[in-house]
Amino acid sequence: MGVIRKLPLYAERIPGGSLVMTSLEAVLGQAQAKSLWYLLFGTACCAIELMCTGASRYDFDRLGMIFRATPRQSDLIIVAGTITKKMAPRLRRLYDQMAEPRYVIAMGGCTISGGPFYYDCYSVEKGIDHIVPVDVYIPGCPPRPESLMEGCIHLQEKLKKTKLGDWQEKQA
Amino acid sequence: MTRDELKSHIAGRFEGRMTLLDTGRYDPMYEVKRSDLLEVAKALRDDERVKFDFLCNLGGVDTGERFEIVYSVASTINNLRLDFKVILPYEAAEIESVQEVWPAANWHEREMWELYGINVLNHENLTRFLLPDDWDQGYPLRKDWDAPDFVRMPEL
Amino acid sequence: MDGLRTEEFVVNMGPHHPATHGVCRLMLTMDGERVMRIEPVIGYLHRSLEKICENRTYAQCIPILDRFEYVTSMSCNQAFALAAEKLAGIEVPERAEYLRVIMLELNRIASHLIFYGVTAMDIGALTPFLYGLREREGIIDLFEMTCGQRLTYNYIRIGGVSKDIPAQFVPQCRTVLSTIREKLHDYEGLLNENPIWLVRTKGVGYLAPEVAIAYGVSGPVLRASGVNYDIRRNDPYSIYDRFDFQVAVRPNGDCYDRYLVRLDEIKESIKIIEQALDGLPDGPISAKVSPNFKPPPGEVYSRVENSRGELGVYIQSDGGKKPLRVKTRGGSFNQLQALPVFGTGGLIADLVAIFATLDVIMPEVDR
Repeated sequence: MGVIRKLPLYAERIPGGSLVMTSLEAVLGQAQAKSLWYLLFGTACCAIELMCTGASRYDFDRLGMIFRATPRQSDLIIVAGTITKKMAPRLRRLYDQMAEPRYVIAMGGCTISGGPFYYDCYSVEKGIDHIVPVDVYIPGCPPRPESLMEGCIHLQEKLKKTKLGDWQEKQA
Repeated sequence: MTRDELKSHIAGRFEGRMTLLDTGRYDPMYEVKRSDLLEVAKALRDDERVKFDFLCNLGGVDTGERFEIVYSVASTINNLRLDFKVILPYEAAEIESVQEVWPAANWHEREMWELYGINVLNHENLTRFLLPDDWDQGYPLRKDWDAPDFVRMPEL
Repeated sequence: MDGLRTEEFVVNMGPHHPATHGVCRLMLTMDGERVMRIEPVIGYLHRSLEKICENRTYAQCIPILDRFEYVTSMSCNQAFALAAEKLAGIEVPERAEYLRVIMLELNRIASHLIFYGVTAMDIGALTPFLYGLREREGIIDLFEMTCGQRLTYNYIRIGGVSKDIPAQFVPQCRTVLSTIREKLHDYEGLLNENPIWLVRTKGVGYLAPEVAIAYGVSGPVLRASGVNYDIRRNDPYSIYDRFDFQVAVRPNGDCYDRYLVRLDEIKESIKIIEQALDGLPDGPISAKVSPNFKPPPGEVYSRVENSRGELGVYIQSDGGKKPLRVKTRGGSFNQLQALPVFGTGGLIADLVAIFATLDVIMPEVDR
């Protein structure tokens, strides 16, 4: 019943039951934000912190997020780890295989700008935002599990404010 | 067998083919000529007293003036360790494969070919390995290699 | 079934696959469900660590090499620091040696706990993943208390260690170790006699000891095939020759033994840490190393027993403040090289079990 308290509430009571009227955007936003399923995509060190965040002490399941192994069933991809020039086309392909609406979190310094591999490195993509459009950037090398959870909560806030018209704009 | 006993055994058995260098700071470092390489490798593996059956490491080095290929071997039975290297000039960068002596050398030599450009003869599968399939920018680990998007860290 | 035309086909497993640890791609030639040939394709995580190290000073190389094997990054630090100390002839003080051994063995236990969780998850049991990572959090708290980082520590420096342990480290460490020791009985009870686990892992993926030595396989995989070779015992570095511990060896060489060897190693590591905590002396934690560290010209190859095998670092120095060449060698490289030799002939589900018990980490392979 806690969710209903947060929705904009124009309650009307009719005899025999109760009826809640609210906007479709709010309901869809809440529903989407509370059950994001993420693709298990970890290449390097940040993948271990992603695993720790999904395990016992910092539990991702309490935010409604569980991992899926295939992009067809997930709506969030957390890119955890360095992306090299050899791996970049595969990342783009995985992103294209996801169904809309889809979101991307860039976790760790390597995905933001190349991280410790910016200088003297001939094979690392310096940042992933020219491969896939990124929604949330989480800095750190590797970021703590608390940082990752805060990044996911930021994404949930963003989803709760999505207007229906935004979905059309994103395709264009 | 201590390190000094090992050095005297090698000096007696491989005289003329393995010369002791003074650059090894912990385990002894020898130099072997390219023409003696396979024979010395087989003898090191089969010799009764030292039996070096485990290849730890095989790597190329670009010193700025020449190529060197460094081999590190160990013996699991006698607890010994040894290093040796082959020196190659830039113009004649070719070496025979030691795969038939230590099969562990397979991927190490493939990586050396890909990153340094040292040709390995008698290797069964010299193909692209670590770099992307459409890489056309040369051999990255050489000292004189450069590329347009290669950023060097500035001196502080 | 005579008269039916059959042919072999190629299935691509990876680079993004839940059962390949990281980004490894295996091209499998299959005859029905049987795997006939495996060809690993690697390079998806090639971050050119060796080229980076040629333009960094010796102290700056240590955090770069942390990322070489991030699950046990204390071992990477230790291998590089040992090599640099041998080049320059630096003597490490006693307290620093004891602290190094404690941190290395704690890191080994943490890595084997991840192995326990992830291997069980690959083969299908989802509960041990949560148990293994829960115990690992206790060890990570100890690391965070000492050096501030959870994963890539940058703690073991040239000449010693970077920070001293706080006062509550020793009692908390003893509590964590006794918790792990008693919980290990429960974890073994979950899987060791489980009929499904035995069918999936016993007799699967036999690796002969001669093949293992010829391909340079080392670490728990080699010891599970019956070869008693552990660098801490056969070629001791640091102060390992002062501690009393058994080397875990198993005779059969299949997946079940590779799993059991690592659980044995956790128990031996607990023994080593308790001996080190009892004998921890006072004193300085680092030798005096100048900020302008320039070892004399020379070369050295130093190796360390990692939880995945032999981790070796070869450094050649020309007298300057940056190394001329740093070549690293990880245990997973040789194990993946040996996989096409002993991993074929079984079903594809057996291949998943073999790959899981090899415990391969991709940046060790790709560098």
